[in-house]
Formats: sequence, C-alpha cells, structure tokens
Amino acid sequence: MTAALEAVNLTVERSKQTVLLDVSFGVAPGEVYALLGGNGAGKSTALLSFLGLLTPKSGSARVQGRSVTDDLTAARRVTAYLPEAATLYEHLSAHENLAYFLSLAKAAADRAAVDRALDRVGLQPEARDKRLGSYSKGMRQKVAIALALLRDTPILLLDEPTSGLDPVAIDEFNTLVRSLADDDRAILMVTHDVYGACQVADRIGLLRKGELVGGFERPAEGRIDTEAVHAAFAGRTVA
Amino acid sequence: MSWGSSRVSTIATAEWRLWMRSKSAIAALLAVVLIIAATSVLTAVRFTEERQERAHQQEVAEETFLSQPARHPHRMVHYGHYVFRTPPPLAIIDPGVDSVTGQSIFLEGHRQNTAMFADTRASANVGGFQTLSPASVYKVLIPLLLIALGHGVFVREREARTLAPLLAQGVSGVTLYAGKVLALTALSAALLTPMLIMSLIGVASGEAASVSLAVVAAYGAYLLVWSALIVLMSAALRTRGVVLGCLVFVWLSWSLITPRLAVASASAAEPSPGKLETDYQLKADLRKLGDGHNAADPAFNALKANLLAEYDVDSVEELPINFRGAVAQASEADLTEVMNEYAERRMALEIRQSHHANGFGWLSPTLAVSAASRHLAGVDLETHHRFLREAEAVRFDFVQGLNKSHVEELSYADDIHRNQSAEASRRARISPENWSVLNEFRFQPATADERFGAAKAPISMLTVWLTTLIAVGVFASRRLKP
Repeated sequence: MTAALEAVNLTVERSKQTVLLDVSFGVAPGEVYALLGGNGAGKSTALLSFLGLLTPKSGSARVQGRSVTDDLTAARRVTAYLPEAATLYEHLSAHENLAYFLSLAKAAADRAAVDRALDRVGLQPEARDKRLGSYSKGMRQKVAIALALLRDTPILLLDEPTSGLDPVAIDEFNTLVRSLADDDRAILMVTHDVYGACQVADRIGLLRKGELVGGFERPAEGRIDTEAVHAAFAGRTVA
Repeated sequence: MSWGSSRVSTIATAEWRLWMRSKSAIAALLAVVLIIAATSVLTAVRFTEERQERAHQQEVAEETFLSQPARHPHRMVHYGHYVFRTPPPLAIIDPGVDSVTGQSIFLEGHRQNTAMFADTRASANVGGFQTLSPASVYKVLIPLLLIALGHGVFVREREARTLAPLLAQGVSGVTLYAGKVLALTALSAALLTPMLIMSLIGVASGEAASVSLAVVAAYGAYLLVWSALIVLMSAALRTRGVVLGCLVFVWLSWSLITPRLAVASASAAEPSPGKLETDYQLKADLRKLGDGHNAADPAFNALKANLLAEYDVDSVEELPINFRGAVAQASEADLTEVMNEYAERRMALEIRQSHHANGFGWLSPTLAVSAASRHLAGVDLETHHRFLREAEAVRFDFVQGLNKSHVEELSYADDIHRNQSAEASRRARISPENWSVLNEFRFQPATADERFGAAKAPISMLTVWLTTLIAVGVFASRRLKP
C-alpha cells in the first residue's frame, strides 16, 4: 500500500544547523505513527516539512506519493494540522474560529456540522460562543481537534497534541485519535509523551538529535511496551 | 480566481473583526476620525468664507476705483488698486501655498508690490486645528493610524503562532498578504470618505469632477503605499518591536526628515540672493532709467527729441499731446520691462527650487502626494506665479491706460500749472469715465488638463512606489514562514 505520508532520506537545516538527518519513515492510511523524542530532537521539524513550511536540504517529504515541495497546494488540501498548544484566535469564539479556518480551507461545514464536531470532542455547548481568551488549554485543544475533524482530510498531523491536558482529557483524546485512524486516516503525531504514544500509536519512531535511532511496532495483541520505549528514550537500550 | 479572492476578503474581514473588538484600536480610530472631521469642517468653512470674502473684496476694490471722482490721472496711478487671489474650490482639501504666499496685491504705478496677507490667523481661536488641513491629516496622521493598527498583521500571527495553522489550511503567503493589504486598504478607503465628500463639495463649487476625484485617488494611492509597506514589514520582520520601530522611522523619514532635507538641498543647489540685495540691485537698475515724474530728466531727452520731430514742433509746449504723460507712459514701459525681468528670474529660480525639492518624492511618497495634491487642487507655486503675472498684466494695463488719458485728456499747460491755484488744480483733473481702463480681475484656476499635466511627475512617483512595494510584498510573502 502507498504510504499516505513518507519521509525519504529527509534532511532539513534550520538557521544553518542540521535538525533532521537522513530520516526515512512512512505512515499508511489507518495508521497512527508517533515520532518520539526529547526537546530539539527534530520532531516538529519533520511535521512542518510535511506542511511545506520548511524546505528539505535533501531528500523529500511526500504526501500521497508526491513531494510536498512539488505540489504544496495539493499536500495542504489533504492534510489537517493540529498545532502545539492549539494556537487559535483568542478574540474569537469557538464557532468563529472554526468558521474562519474552515472558510480559508474551503471546507464546507454548516453550523450543525460544527456543533456535531464540537460534541464529538466534548466542548460544552454554553462555551462555544465565548471568546477563546476565557478557555482553558484543554478547551482550546478541543476546538483545534474539532477543526481537524471538520477538515475531514485523510491525513492528520498532530504536534504535541496532549501537552498540557489533564489525564482524563488525554484519555479522551487518545480514544478520539484511535477512532480517526479506524476511519482510515493516516496520523502522524509528534510527542515526547512516552505513555501516550504507546497507548495510541501503531508504530513509534525514536528521534534523537535529528536522527531516527529506533522504532517500535504494536504487537498483534496489546500495545507497544512502554518500558522498552522509555528505556530507549532515556538512552539505556534501543529496541 | 474567485477561490483566491474570497479567501482574501475572508482574511481582510477577520482583520477588521479584530480591530473592531480591540478597545485601543477603536479609540485610535475614533480619535483620528474626530481630527479628520474637525479639520475638514473647519477648513471647508474657512475656505468657503475666504472664497466669498476675497471675491467680495475684489468687487469692492473695483467699485471703489471706478467710483473715484475726477482726479489728476497720475494721482489715480498711485491711488492704485487691489487684486485678490480667490482660492480654488479644492483649497478646502489642500490650501497649498495659499497660507505662505499671500493672497492679495496692491497694484500701483512704477512698482511691483509683493503679495500680502498670508494667513496669520492660524490657531488660537480653534485650538490649533486651523493649522491642520485635511491634506496634512491624510499625509501625516492617517499613516500613523495605519501603522498603529497594521504593524501587527503578520507579526501578531507569528507571535501567537497562528501563522502555521493559517498556512496549513492551504492559504498561500500571497493570499495572506493580499488579505492583510485589503484590510488596511478598506480602512484607508473608509477614512477617505470625508475627503470624498469635500471633493464633491468642490465639484458643487465649480471644480471639474475629474480633478476632484483625482485628488482623492492620489491620497488613496498614497495610503495604499503605506498599507503595502506596513504589511510587507510585518511579514518580513520577526518581532513586533522591530516592525513598529522600523515603521516609525520610515514615517519620520518620509513625513519630517526628507521634506526638510528636500528644502535644504533645493536651497543649496539653487541658492537665491537675499531680498535686500535683490531690491538694492533692482532699484539701482531702475534709477538708470530716469525718474518718470520729472519730464526734464535727461533720460527722456531722446523721447523728447523723437516727439518734437514726429510732430514737427520746437518745444514740448507746442506738442498736441501732454509730454509729461508721454514721459510717464514711456517710463512705465521701461520700468516694467526691468521689473518683469527680475520677477521672471525670481520665479524661474523658485520653480527650479520647487522641482528640485519635488524630486525628493522618489525618496518620500509623502512629498510625492503633496506635490500631486497641490498641482491637482490648483494651489501650487506655478498657480501663484500665474496670479502674480496676471496681476502684473492688470497693473500695467490700468497704469498705462491712465497714462494714455494723461497724454490725451489733459493738456501740458494745465498739467504743469496745476499747483498754481484751486482752479488750476481743478482743470488738471480728468473725468471719472477714464477710470474704466481698469479691467475686471477674476483669478481662475488652471484647466483640468493643465493640472493633470503638472501632476504627472509626482503621480508617476506614487505609481512607482506602489508597484515596487506591492511587487516586493508579493515576493516576500511567497517565502512566508511561520
């Protein structure tokens, strides 16, 4: 099966420093792939490369088989992006934020569809017309996830999606991500949350100083072994 | 295309929504709207009154001259006459050089007086608003408002990290740039409404619709230059403080520093001799031509000889014309030629200085729009010079008309004996019918075509500024990164 997302020998420089070096991996439709790494490992750089917001020095980031740099518009049309810390507009309400972003994405969604998405992510109806300035981080994250849902794209890019969420919200989010993957979406998630990654991912790639230094795969039954990943993450062993 | 353009308007609308929800933006907007309204109303009222007052004074001056009783013709030459430069209808937007050049001239024989009564009733009675014109508000204050509201259009997105999600929706950097520029342009257009109303008042007062709208369009282009620059800087620079600092520096440079530099450079490149020096030199040159009041001045010996030969007589007493009048007539023609030479030299120098200073429009669009506005509104230096020339033509015609009456209507004998008795003095007067030599003077602005012609260079400068900034903005926005 053609990978929905594919990094092919991807090397990226930022401010004249190599932050990704010869990284290769793929994410198939229906699969959740977690790129795991510490601060500065190059996780977000990989994600931004798939959005065409960074240009590879060599290699390529490919979306549905085509290099992002060759057809940026097509890549962005099929990709929904959930930024770290759910960066949305604080002076707008949830409804207004979603209407604005969906209008820019040319995604058709009426008010009922928006409310269904907000129901699905669990944002209380009474909060939906209040400005995001009064929202908690978790509530903002829900709006951002709703946006990703409403874009209804086959590919989701999630940047530290559970950062700052409480444990209940993390569980809800992970459940949601799994259900989205079950709808045949390809999901690339970058995170430093070992537990969360093991809970939701089908495969995990371990990034260290810009290089992919290890990988884990969900067994036929159960989840990826958190202890093994944690040990590899901490540099004790690499599975 | 509609796909992109609808995104552009969506982005612009979002920007407006942000401004409308910001108390500081609303406060700044209201303050500027109040200033525009105050200056527009005050300038409109002031110049409407000025137009009526100067037109009225012109009529009064003419009536006063024509209603003078019988007098010696040369007394009427020195009694003199006033001409007034009625401001054009668009002076309610841009008073131009009106406030510094003077608006009326006293016309009399043997002298070219300077224009006087430059506006000095400036500020006290209305808290300083009279020193501001709508043109100066649009040139200097509105860009500050655009900077205040617009400097963050991109850098705010970058700081709030909303730029990446925006681009991730498939919106190109160019579309974002266009949307942000459209937001500022729409704001500028809204702020131009009072100027549009004033230009329509100008049309109602007899101004050509084409030039009236062109003035508004010139300011529209100028504000678009600012909008394009503000969005470009916001996109290209990384932090809000740097963007704001750079824009304020550009504002200072365009609005305050470059205009002064232009004036200083023009003065250095085309130095003008001092007034005292010029007046001294002129007086010396005029003195060489003889004293027209003294028919016995040797400077008029040739004239005397020619007239005696022409009429085949032996003395001026035998001439069928008044020799003193003939001397006054010839003297006036000679003096005027020299005075015109000096005046033309001074005006040519002023025009060269003006062109030199206007060339700085390539460095400052504020200077370019100022020049375009003055030319289009008919309040430029060239118009003032035309007023001086037309006033001089009126002066020369009525003085020589009176001198002609002096030659033909008053006998030489009566003239030279006029101080011997009251009766002799009475005989040396001529009928008031002779005062009709005075031509009616109604100063008119140049035609629309002439004004468009004069404004061509600064309009080209604005066009180049606008095209360049938009091109650079599009180029930079193609490489937009979060």
